[in-house]
Amino acid sequence: MGVAVIVGTAKGAAVLRSKDRKNWDMRFELRGWPVTASARDDGGRTYAAVNSPNFGVALFATDDFANWKQLEAAPRYRPEDRGNPEHHRLVAKMDFEGKLKGGGRFVDQIWTLHPAHGALYAGVSEAGLFVSRDRGESWQPIDGFNEQPGRENWFPGFGGLGLHTILTDAKHPDRMWVGISAAGFFRSDDGGKTWTRKDESVHSFGGNCVHHVANNPEKASVLYRQEHFGVYRSEDGGDSWQVWEDGLPVTEMSTGHRCSFGFPLVHDRKSGASFVVPLDGDAYRFPRGGQLAVYRSIDGKTWHPLTNGLPANCFAGVLRGSMAGDQMDPGGLYFGTTAGAIYASDDLGESWREIASGLPRIMSVEAYAA
Amino acid sequence: MSVRVQLPPVLRNAFGGQRWLEAEGTTVCEALRDLGQKHASLALHFFDEQGQVRHNIVCLHGGGIVRARDMHAHSIQEGDELVLTNALAGG
Repeated sequence: MGVAVIVGTAKGAAVLRSKDRKNWDMRFELRGWPVTASARDDGGRTYAAVNSPNFGVALFATDDFANWKQLEAAPRYRPEDRGNPEHHRLVAKMDFEGKLKGGGRFVDQIWTLHPAHGALYAGVSEAGLFVSRDRGESWQPIDGFNEQPGRENWFPGFGGLGLHTILTDAKHPDRMWVGISAAGFFRSDDGGKTWTRKDESVHSFGGNCVHHVANNPEKASVLYRQEHFGVYRSEDGGDSWQVWEDGLPVTEMSTGHRCSFGFPLVHDRKSGASFVVPLDGDAYRFPRGGQLAVYRSIDGKTWHPLTNGLPANCFAGVLRGSMAGDQMDPGGLYFGTTAGAIYASDDLGESWREIASGLPRIMSVEAYAA
Repeated sequence: MSVRVQLPPVLRNAFGGQRWLEAEGTTVCEALRDLGQKHASLALHFFDEQGQVRHNIVCLHGGGIVRARDMHAHSIQEGDELVLTNALAGG
């Protein structure tokens, strides 16, 4: 069994394939499009989300990683949907004529794609949740989430008001979670009809700037969370959270709070190990001292650094969607930097190799046994 | 009116790399709507949720630039060529 790694960059997708996870071939597809997310469904179809400030968002699909077909539908809000004024203020930087300020709500990026229970979910900005039950041929908004009271007061993160994390429970199809920067982390137990914030005891300053959350869908209620203000773990589906930073580098944040800052968090299902890439606080957002390091927790309690094969003079970041596991045995890990390098490990992070470089800014990474 | 519309490079892949498409209309906006009706993916690219031409699309026509806000009123003639591009293409 080989592996395919889909690397979404600011100017296209690098598709890396390997039979042995040591020798890699690369193709560069979807040229010219920022590729913001990808996913593979149970039928083996791979989807890539693209966006452009000029031509909007779109989805492409492939069954062989080589021939990509554009789908004729994509998530879109209704003409009558009203937008969040703070999100408009951020995205209006690209809006010459100021029409966004007229109050409409627009999908300006697909942040995540998540296949589950025979459906494909999409998380977008301006923050919203959509579902397709026909492999992307049509999309429906999940109004229970998108139209909930109070969204007009959500405060966007630096990248806008993005719904970037979708998690599901393999045993309970009606339960799901979503994370929005910086509105917080939400759970539904009724198939998306109603939602509750699940941020209790997570450090915040008003809203919660959740950066990324992971779980194993087979043990779904154990949640692993990288927040703007620290790393947390929950054993009860998000009802309560515990700080989970023993062994992680802790930095003073711009507010004075001390915690471990970073973006992606990946969970390897077979080993139970979790991985983060700490950065030197929200003021700098690059590895501390330039040493690129992945931290791993196998026991769910303590973290240990893994630097074998990673560069010592790296001042690039790793974005929230830019790290993934292939869920093989042993688990392979892959992450990309904003400087266009991809690092891979086939031994749960013990050693790393650069498998591609010179790519545009890397925005998303997904890996699949294929 | 039958006109020819040149697609921006990133939109050509969906048409096998084809540069020009035929469209019908008496204004630039009508020509874009005609293309959107023929090809659903182009409707996503040309028009936002409010049904307006996306703000950063411009059209080169007859030696001038037609901005998105003017496309509904800008007349075109039989055989015209419309070049679509984005307004952020400068250095």
